[in-house]
Amino acid sequence: MEFISVYLNLFPVSLAQGAVYAFVALGVMIPFRVLSLPDLTSEGTFPLGGAVLATLLAAGYNPVLGLVVAILAGVVAGGATAIIHLLLKIPSLLAGIIVLTMLFSINIRIMGKPNTALFDFDTIFTQLLNADGGAPLSQFALLMVIILLVCGALFWFLHTEIGVALRSVGANQMMSRAQGLATGWYIVGGLGLAGALSAFGGAVMAQYQSYADVTMGAGVLIIGLAATILGEAIVGNKNLARQIAAPVVGALIYFQVVALALALGLRPSDLRLLTGIFVLCTLAAPLIARRLARSG
Amino acid sequence: MSNNHRTAVAVEGVQRTFHPGTVQEKRALRGIDFELEPGDFAVVIGSNGAGKSTLLNALAGEISVDSGHISVDGIQIQSWPTHRRARLVSRVFQDPMMGTAAALTIEENLSIARRRGHRRNLRLSIRNDDRRVFRERLAPLGLGLENRLTDRVDLLSGGQRQSLTLIMATLNQPRLLLLDEHTAALDPRAAELVMNATTQTVEEHHTTTLMVTHNMNHAITFGNRLLMIHEGRVIFNAGAEEKSKLTASGLVDRFHDAVSDRMVLN
Ligand SMILES: Nc1ncnc2c1ncn2[C@@H]1O[C@H](COP(=O)(O)OP(=O)(O)OP(=O)(O)O)[C@@H](O)[C@H]1O
Ligand SMILES: [Mg+2]
Repeated sequence: MEFISVYLNLFPVSLAQGAVYAFVALGVMIPFRVLSLPDLTSEGTFPLGGAVLATLLAAGYNPVLGLVVAILAGVVAGGATAIIHLLLKIPSLLAGIIVLTMLFSINIRIMGKPNTALFDFDTIFTQLLNADGGAPLSQFALLMVIILLVCGALFWFLHTEIGVALRSVGANQMMSRAQGLATGWYIVGGLGLAGALSAFGGAVMAQYQSYADVTMGAGVLIIGLAATILGEAIVGNKNLARQIAAPVVGALIYFQVVALALALGLRPSDLRLLTGIFVLCTLAAPLIARRLARSG
Repeated sequence: MSNNHRTAVAVEGVQRTFHPGTVQEKRALRGIDFELEPGDFAVVIGSNGAGKSTLLNALAGEISVDSGHISVDGIQIQSWPTHRRARLVSRVFQDPMMGTAAALTIEENLSIARRRGHRRNLRLSIRNDDRRVFRERLAPLGLGLENRLTDRVDLLSGGQRQSLTLIMATLNQPRLLLLDEHTAALDPRAAELVMNATTQTVEEHHTTTLMVTHNMNHAITFGNRLLMIHEGRVIFNAGAEEKSKLTASGLVDRFHDAVSDRMVLN
């Protein structure tokens, strides 16, 4: 029963990790679920947030300012994907790939190098917890407070006139136009919001691991998607509260599953394969169920 | 150019060709002319492919016109995008799924419609006063929707969704209401219900309306004007007096006469 003690050792850290990834999971959920517009830009906005924050911290600015600027950068990058998609009539997936490819160069330009270490600088963790950044469980608690604030703000926003209009654009563009909504602007705003959440997630990640790396976005999309699907399987998505809670719950559970898998002896490098298989299975499940129903 | 203040809708020489210069070239609208006075309820008939839906799409802004003018209340709108026209024009689609946002609740859908033509901001979308208005508007349908405001629209039947779409289209009175075979996809009972609700709101508010239908009885019974469209042109435009004398079989004869006249002329 060695694996139980290994898992229990990993438990606090994996909790904190899950909370860190909850933001980017929200940033993935928005385009896929609220806008019904598949988008991969988070793979670029996540490191963008990290790069912007790391550069500002290294230049002596405080972490809150770093987070704010990271959010703004995310809005611009997310909005850029939307504008490319709308103006050039390119599928949103391709528009996102183009933007995240360009962001790779931009992120290195921002940092001046491929990565930036932040061990010597104050982060939200050192400022709000203690000088060494706090224990994993206190990091988790702090992150959960921020997550609840973000989710609350998102819940409120999606109930405002503009927020309901945004959801309407995601549900039915033709009807939304007929009801007077300039759908293009809502899509720009919606992907901007998703970019803000992903970049914020990247900026939190950089502080959590004390460095930003231009490759830190690789794989976040599929983690965010897996978290959203997993969360929806647990809390559902029948109403807005559940839809917002799903990626958060999913991210927390996902990293517990990861910890279990590692405790069972899997290598960290196996995880992406497993995540991919998980997402594939959830995508295939309805299809297989239908086949079975027809043949059975 | 008609600046006559009594004209609610003026359509002049509207043309639209799909895929011009290719083998699939289709001259869907070949110069449509007609005018509606305020409160006119015009029924639009014509065979499949005549250009009725294209005309309504051109009025709503979903498709652009190659030439011609469209004015509503004397304002030329042919170059406006759909969402801008929405402050003057509203519509109910043929497909009951098209007119509402499935993932939103009944009251959220209605709140979208209530802000049509106004700026949207960061206030809560639904306030108590809104709920009262929504209930008042839904209750006359007799579908019980007024007690289901927080239900998601994808829980509703086609007839219920189409009734809701009609309420959404008329919640803020449009200057022009477009109905494209809006009861065609419904079962007879639901169709009758939606049709009754339509005449009720149109009569109550004297809404200038264009209604496409393939139902000759509807074409005779409803409205005070009739436009027959064939191959992208208005081939018969009946005013109130003429329309009141029309019968279903007379209408069919009229259609055949008009079409064969054209063939002779061509
Ligand atoms: N987007 C489009 N692209 C190409 N051709 C089109 C398009 N929309 C309509 N058409 C063509 O234009 C013609 C008019 O079509 P429209 O839909 O207006 O007919 P309709 O009078 O509404 O017919 P129905 O009674 O069958 O609904 C048809 O030949 C149709 O194939
Ligand atoms: Mg049609």
